[in-house]
Amino acid sequence: MSRRDDVYVVGCGMRPFGRDESVTGMDMAERAVREALADAGVAWDDIGYAAGGSDVSGKPDTLVGRLGLTGVPFVNVQNGCATGASAVLAVANALRAGEASLGLAVGFDKHERGAFHVSAARYGLGDWYAESGMMLTTQFFALKTQRYLYEYGISERALAMVAARAFRNGSHHPLAWRRKPLTEQEILDSAEVSPPLTQYMFCSPGQGAAALVLALGDRAFDLCERPVKLASLAFRTRRFGSFEVFSPWLPPGPHHSPSIDAAEAAFRTAGVRPADVRVAQLQDTDSGSELIHLAETGLCGHGEQEELLAAGVTHATGRIPVNTDGGCLAGGEPVGASGLRQFHEVVRQLQGRAPGLQVPGGPRVGFTHVYGAPGISACSVLTV
Amino acid sequence: MTTRLIEESLFENRGNPEFDDGDPPRLTGARCSGCGTVVFPRQDSCPRCSGGAMSARTLPVSGRVWSWTRQAFPPKPPYRTPADGHRPYHVGYVDLGEVLVEALLAVSRAEVRIGLPVRLTTVPAYRDEDGTEVVTFAFRPERDGER
Repeated sequence: MSRRDDVYVVGCGMRPFGRDESVTGMDMAERAVREALADAGVAWDDIGYAAGGSDVSGKPDTLVGRLGLTGVPFVNVQNGCATGASAVLAVANALRAGEASLGLAVGFDKHERGAFHVSAARYGLGDWYAESGMMLTTQFFALKTQRYLYEYGISERALAMVAARAFRNGSHHPLAWRRKPLTEQEILDSAEVSPPLTQYMFCSPGQGAAALVLALGDRAFDLCERPVKLASLAFRTRRFGSFEVFSPWLPPGPHHSPSIDAAEAAFRTAGVRPADVRVAQLQDTDSGSELIHLAETGLCGHGEQEELLAAGVTHATGRIPVNTDGGCLAGGEPVGASGLRQFHEVVRQLQGRAPGLQVPGGPRVGFTHVYGAPGISACSVLTV
Repeated sequence: MTTRLIEESLFENRGNPEFDDGDPPRLTGARCSGCGTVVFPRQDSCPRCSGGAMSARTLPVSGRVWSWTRQAFPPKPPYRTPADGHRPYHVGYVDLGEVLVEALLAVSRAEVRIGLPVRLTTVPAYRDEDGTEVVTFAFRPERDGER
């Protein structure tokens, strides 16, 4: 494939994650889009194709009423934790198909406080499942983590190491929500939620918005000094044998994950190896998830995590920097915006202008990974 | 006091809604005639091979805890927190051999662990507006029944 057919990120914008009662999700989205357009040096009426996602904060295409009624095709995406990646995929495919040479992806959300409220019927389950107190995402993450620690002999301290690194990275990042570093002991001693996971090992639903401007081929190099190539973006649903959230039953195993499939496809398409990655974003709704995703995506082997974490390998200065902006743990999880936050951070890292801790040595290969209910994953490889 | 099951279709149909014969009603899933996959609750198509016919399958009553956690905070509705406040409870997957079933674990904090032998039982889930006690399935330590 020649450069002509490649899609690049040429601009990005993001509003601070967290809680801000003075703005709506839509307000934040508009500002993130304007930032991304300014970053790319283009105007809204240059955009030939757009896609946007929000879980609870409104129909994204209504943004055209604020940004300008240009008639642009605008696709709304609602795909759980993979909403952001799905929006990017929709735009990238449209650009490759010749619909336009410049596109925009935006994601935003503003959630209520507390655990996500989910409806059994929406997941094809009977009311009994929720009524008997089993329909909680937090339980699933705890059950999967508990089993994983048991199978691979990993200690609960490893979970605290993940969270401590996230909050430390967040403390350096101007767009993060949780900016107070916490010690491993403080994390282990925080309120019990669902063992082995404690309060500070979980992210919280929050609010935020992020946007990307994407360009096709040569147009990208006309617009941007250092465009970041979307070398691959793979999206997968679960296969049989996957241990997923909201599963009243599981087959006896071995258990699989859509993250494994999506990561394999993303690396294969991009023609790079997991070992080439120098900055990674992994879905960290909780410490256990990040720990498991490190191995499921191929960035390390199963059971190696504790040693790598203890050695600082996933720090910004380590061999595989992970969630350099603090991830979901420090940023919270506005579902529609979360995946685009990952792109924002990796793009800025690869361009050498990270808002927080910059990975040293000019990283050339970045990776993003999202995972969500009821068993979906999207992974991308970004390169410069 | 009247009692009913939280969802009839999860259980073996014994025509005995009061289940007062001592044994808890057994769980019923479905088995695929094509690939042998056992699912719970029952469904009409196989998620593995999409091929075979599904028939009702009464699940084993004994197994081992495969994973567990504790629900420390009160879930949102439709879960109904007891009138006297939330009591943390255990939940987990029980390995029944042909299938792992997610269930409440009527097991104490001191005892709960992966590998614990457990047996099917029922526990109160909530009370209906008319006072009917609604019960659901759970697993308790196997040795409880030997006391």
